[in-house]
Amino acid sequence: MKLISKLTLFITLSKLAIVLLFVLILPYLIGQIASSYTDYYLQQQQKKVLEVVAKNSVDSYLQGEESYGSYTMLKEEYISLEPVENGFTLDTIYTDERIIEKDTLNYRVLIHAFDTERGTYLMEVGKTIETIDQYKRPLQRIATYVLLGLILITLIIDLLYTRFLLRPLVKIIKTKIINRKFPFNENPTPIQTSTSDFRFLDDSLIKLMEQIHLAFEKEREFTANASHELMTPIGILQNKIENLMGEPEVDDLVQERLIGMQKTLNRLKRIVHSLLLISRIENDQFTKKESVKVSELFDDISDEISHRLSEKNISLKTSLSKDILLKNINRDLIFQMFYNLINNAIRYNKESGFIHIKDHLNTDGTYAIDLIDSGIGIPKEEISTIFNRFKKANKSEDSGGYGLGLSIVKSIADYHQISISVESDTSVGSSFSISFPAILVEKL
Amino acid sequence: MKVLLIEDEKTLAYEVEAFLKKAFYLCDMAHTGQKGLEMLGVNPYDFVLLDLGLPDLDGLTVLQQAKKLNPDAAYIILTARGNIEDRILGLDLGADDYLPKPFSLLELQSRMQAISRRKFNIHTQEIALGEFMIDLQNRTVKNQLNEIDLTRKEFDLLSYLLLHKNRVLNRMQLSEHIWGSFVDDDYDSNYIDVHIKNIRKKLGAYGSVEWLETVRGVGYKIRQ
Repeated sequence: MKLISKLTLFITLSKLAIVLLFVLILPYLIGQIASSYTDYYLQQQQKKVLEVVAKNSVDSYLQGEESYGSYTMLKEEYISLEPVENGFTLDTIYTDERIIEKDTLNYRVLIHAFDTERGTYLMEVGKTIETIDQYKRPLQRIATYVLLGLILITLIIDLLYTRFLLRPLVKIIKTKIINRKFPFNENPTPIQTSTSDFRFLDDSLIKLMEQIHLAFEKEREFTANASHELMTPIGILQNKIENLMGEPEVDDLVQERLIGMQKTLNRLKRIVHSLLLISRIENDQFTKKESVKVSELFDDISDEISHRLSEKNISLKTSLSKDILLKNINRDLIFQMFYNLINNAIRYNKESGFIHIKDHLNTDGTYAIDLIDSGIGIPKEEISTIFNRFKKANKSEDSGGYGLGLSIVKSIADYHQISISVESDTSVGSSFSISFPAILVEKL
Repeated sequence: MKVLLIEDEKTLAYEVEAFLKKAFYLCDMAHTGQKGLEMLGVNPYDFVLLDLGLPDLDGLTVLQQAKKLNPDAAYIILTARGNIEDRILGLDLGADDYLPKPFSLLELQSRMQAISRRKFNIHTQEIALGEFMIDLQNRTVKNQLNEIDLTRKEFDLLSYLLLHKNRVLNRMQLSEHIWGSFVDDDYDSNYIDVHIKNIRKKLGAYGSVEWLETVRGVGYKIRQ
């Protein structure tokens, strides 16, 4: 799950939990508030009564009667004064039933005993629970609405802000991780952010990429320089051997030895040549501006390779579209790529075997060429490494390959963004499928 | 034929010189571009073999100046740089041919011969080979009456052997000439033999091909 989704989910859920909690405890809270307010109100009433009594004596209420009682029209409130025995003390507030004019009602009742010149009186002030409760519901509703509104507003603000906050991270992932191709040739641009963590992450990534790029550059440079430096002594040796071979006093035995030396030297030359070619490809030293018709390309290749086919009596059958043009390519490199593949198909083929080459244009514009051979095949565990440098299929057989042919193929393919897939069965043969992206293909 | 070799790698230069002397060329050497230009200013040369990677001057600059000093000479560029751009630039600047290092001396001689034919209009006469006449210019093989049809590669093979006649050429040297950079590692393969067999068969129908000898375990030579 993405960080932004996680944060969104967390923020939403936590706010929901708060709302739920609040809604649950709201009735209790409001009940508490209402009852404490009622108690306060009753105490105020008591104070007023006591003030009146202190000022005008208790007679102003009693009016000659033994006791006093009064209630409002709907019996929401009442007050009563009753004489009790002298010295009686009571001062409490509680909820109780009272019968007033045959109506039994629940009241919050304040009872207070006080002394007057006429003796001790008990004062009761009451307020119906119903009137207390009647404010609870609207209060609850309003509180809930306000809360919901506030939560909604903070939720939106939070989500927008996290989105804003995480934008640099999204950008880092998009520009530095997803869309970057090894070996990171283009210069990375730093992301604009004031968040130090992201700054640090971005800087570290840039540094890392630069290091990888530098290391790769160094390796490439080394390969190019080393190969180049090796060419001079190879050349000298080659020419020395050639001159020696031309000497009249060199007999056949020495001649044979010299050929052996020449062969070894040539092997060295080929390795160095191949490494140079690979490093040149990786150094972007080839242009990709040429076009070639597939059928013509393969005609040229089979011309060049026919002697090797006839040598092993291998039949090459090509069924290729006449109207496919490969464009934005380097002709020599593409030639080399297919040459190496076909050459391999011959080298690892059986006597009187076959090679079939066919193609298909896909609806999405991509184009694939399949090379199917009747060769010795590649064991499953080796398929993943055949394109590695200095690996060769079937090491046991002294077939003379030095493992760079397919590396060159891979370099050329990568350089053109061509993908190659291999299927092989050691009892049937191998099948290489080379697929060209749509930008390299044109149907005439 | 007078050759000036401008090459800073002395060991290599001596080998080339030794080879060319044997092939009856007169060979002078210069190990720096400056020296080379001085020598070109003094002596006329037919061939200038120029290494592009010189210590003192840029090879292509040397080529430009040398062309001014000695416009009639044939220029062959030798370089280990091997860039296609260098090659194109070199040929644009008027070089007659281009040999990437390391090169075979036999190949160098073959290129020089080809330039001679083209540029100095020599060796144009047909070369007699047993009962056959070979025309390297027009790439034909004839006996008294018939013209014999050889494939491009067969003719290349024949003319290369003829150019280095009386010298044994092994299969590798022959393949390298014919297939150039596409030569494979497995030189023991017999495709050169297949071509030689075809040449013998085609020419053998019209006359003796005894001059084309197989040297067991080594290769082939044309004896004359």
